[in-house]
Amino acid sequence: MSPQRAALVEGWPVLTSVVVVGIPFGIVARQSGLSPAEVMAMSLFVFAGASQLAMVQLFKDGVAWPLIVATVLLINLRHVLMAAALRPYVARVSVAKRLAAAYVLTDEAFAMAIGWFRRGRTEIAYYATFAVALYALWNTATVVGMLLGPSIGEPRRFGVDFAITATFIAIVVVGVRRRSDAIVALTAAVMASLLAYLGASVVAVVTAGAVAPLLVLFSPDEATT
Amino acid sequence: MRAFAFAFALPTTLPRPIARYLDALPAAIIAALAGPAVLVPGGGLTRGPELAAALVVIGIVGWRRNLLAGVLAGVAVVALLRLALAA
Repeated sequence: MSPQRAALVEGWPVLTSVVVVGIPFGIVARQSGLSPAEVMAMSLFVFAGASQLAMVQLFKDGVAWPLIVATVLLINLRHVLMAAALRPYVARVSVAKRLAAAYVLTDEAFAMAIGWFRRGRTEIAYYATFAVALYALWNTATVVGMLLGPSIGEPRRFGVDFAITATFIAIVVVGVRRRSDAIVALTAAVMASLLAYLGASVVAVVTAGAVAPLLVLFSPDEATT
Repeated sequence: MRAFAFAFALPTTLPRPIARYLDALPAAIIAALAGPAVLVPGGGLTRGPELAAALVVIGIVGWRRNLLAGVLAGVAVVALLRLALAA
């Protein structure tokens, strides 16, 4: 199977899920008083689900723009970690292509790409196909949400949003090779949850993601790979 | 040949602890993304559906090594249990 095809065959539950999350974003953003052009520009240029929802909330609350910018940067700080983890796989392509890859980097594309590379595959086309499909669908969903408005109800009730979470879990499970892998993953999941529960959801992923792997330094060094 | 050496020599020249840390990093980030959606969806403790569905995904993917089957089963479980709780 070509990498492009594999990206869509393996990624369709996540892509469906993205539409399900993107439509409510379009609805909420319009209700917050932003113009359609402003909402569309946000999806086209910011292109970050959690950040966009946070931005809409902050705009609605009349928060000063420097604080909004700082919040968005903090929420997306985790992408610095992701980019660092992806670097070995994209190091051989041109800087222009790497910048393009960075533009469409999302949590979902990162997870799918790691799942692909960890199987020993090297094609960046897998990442590119999935990431661009997600970009197109997220923007389409934004438009649909703005046009349809609240008339379509709350699709999350049906559990489709869980496809993203389930895919993340599946990719982690497939990647577990040693006991320490499972311990690191569980620690990261619990730590991020605790931080989110305590109100620090903005930094939960970047903190737990950076701290939990330190545990491998306390486990015996089994020579692998 | 030299490009080959560069491409594959780099990881082994990193100090071992850093190499191990970087190796564990991606899974930790992905787990940190999934964790809150399972344990504290929407900011409050889960009422059960997400945790049950997560265990189903772990079970199916761990046993069958089939991503798609695990994901679809997880979505089905969460949908059914959410409906049951809402009823």
